[in-house]
Amino acid sequence: MNRIYFIIIALLCLLYIVRAVRKNSLSIKESFWWFVASVAMLILAIFPYSIDSIAKIFGVDYPPSLFFVFCIIFLVLINFRSSRRIAIQNEKITELAQHIAILEEKVNDK
Amino acid sequence: MKKSNKVLIVIPAYNEEENIGKVLKELKSDVSFADILVINDCSKDKTAEIVKKAGVKCINNVFNMRYAMAIQTGIKYAALNDYDYVIQFDADGQHIAKEAKKLYEHALKTDADIVIGSRYLKDMGYPCPVFRRIGTKIFEFLIKLFCHKHIADPLSGFQCLNRQVILHYSKMGNYPEYPDANLVIEMLMRGYKIEEVPVRMRLREAGESMHGGIIKPIKYMIDMFYSIFFIIIQGPKRKER
Repeated sequence: MNRIYFIIIALLCLLYIVRAVRKNSLSIKESFWWFVASVAMLILAIFPYSIDSIAKIFGVDYPPSLFFVFCIIFLVLINFRSSRRIAIQNEKITELAQHIAILEEKVNDK
Repeated sequence: MKKSNKVLIVIPAYNEEENIGKVLKELKSDVSFADILVINDCSKDKTAEIVKKAGVKCINNVFNMRYAMAIQTGIKYAALNDYDYVIQFDADGQHIAKEAKKLYEHALKTDADIVIGSRYLKDMGYPCPVFRRIGTKIFEFLIKLFCHKHIADPLSGFQCLNRQVILHYSKMGNYPEYPDANLVIEMLMRGYKIEEVPVRMRLREAGESMHGGIIKPIKYMIDMFYSIFFIIIQGPKRKER
């Protein structure tokens, strides 16, 4: 029974991402990793015991901990990516603002 | 040709000092009826100087925005300045100026919204790397499957766009990073008419291709499939008139 709840949650996540892309509030490019994550969630919800066999491959005794490790790695990576994006964008915005200011001065001078 | 149409040739250029001079010279002599606009995508070499010396209009991006956004800059310029047609042209010397005229004449003759210069429609003797050929075949198949239309060279950046397409592209907030097969599918689904004209092309002479290496093409294919997948589940949309 539990499985059905998780399948529903995973499907809702998928739908939410697709809807965000359709409404143009999330770009297709940005949505990629979230989409992959929710598909992984869906697969795990349908085959919950697959995590056991993955744990065996990695030699982990307590399979749920492996699941949490994956989640944490994913979140850290995606967070780092966003931080990097923000830093790059800040730089670009500054550059643009300075460029516009200089252009404005040039235009007003004439 | 009927009353004079305003035609703009948009050339996005990034570090193309070795090729751009020749390209501009060829365009000036063979496509003299069109205006030329180079979008210098923040090149680190002498591209801007060479363009200026040739007396061609040049827009300098403040920072590097990649190929697609540079193209869109040119299209926005065309939309603002009432151009009727835009011809996308590469700065690396692959595209041949005489063939640009062919694209434009085809666009005039028919009511096609987009005319693509195709390397593969007829055997034009274009020596193509194997992987690129396979990729093209896959996209060709996908377009046939979803849009029931045969486009032999959806990856060609050599295109002629009419005013409607110019206006549409210039307003697109999500103009894709790689405007290839995904954009072709999207435009077909919106009901725009796309046609192909067989053209000759050269292999690039100097400089670096944007699809080099091993990881980049794989990433490109994944990106492409993912964005085509989204365009298809979004379903057909109406064409705004």
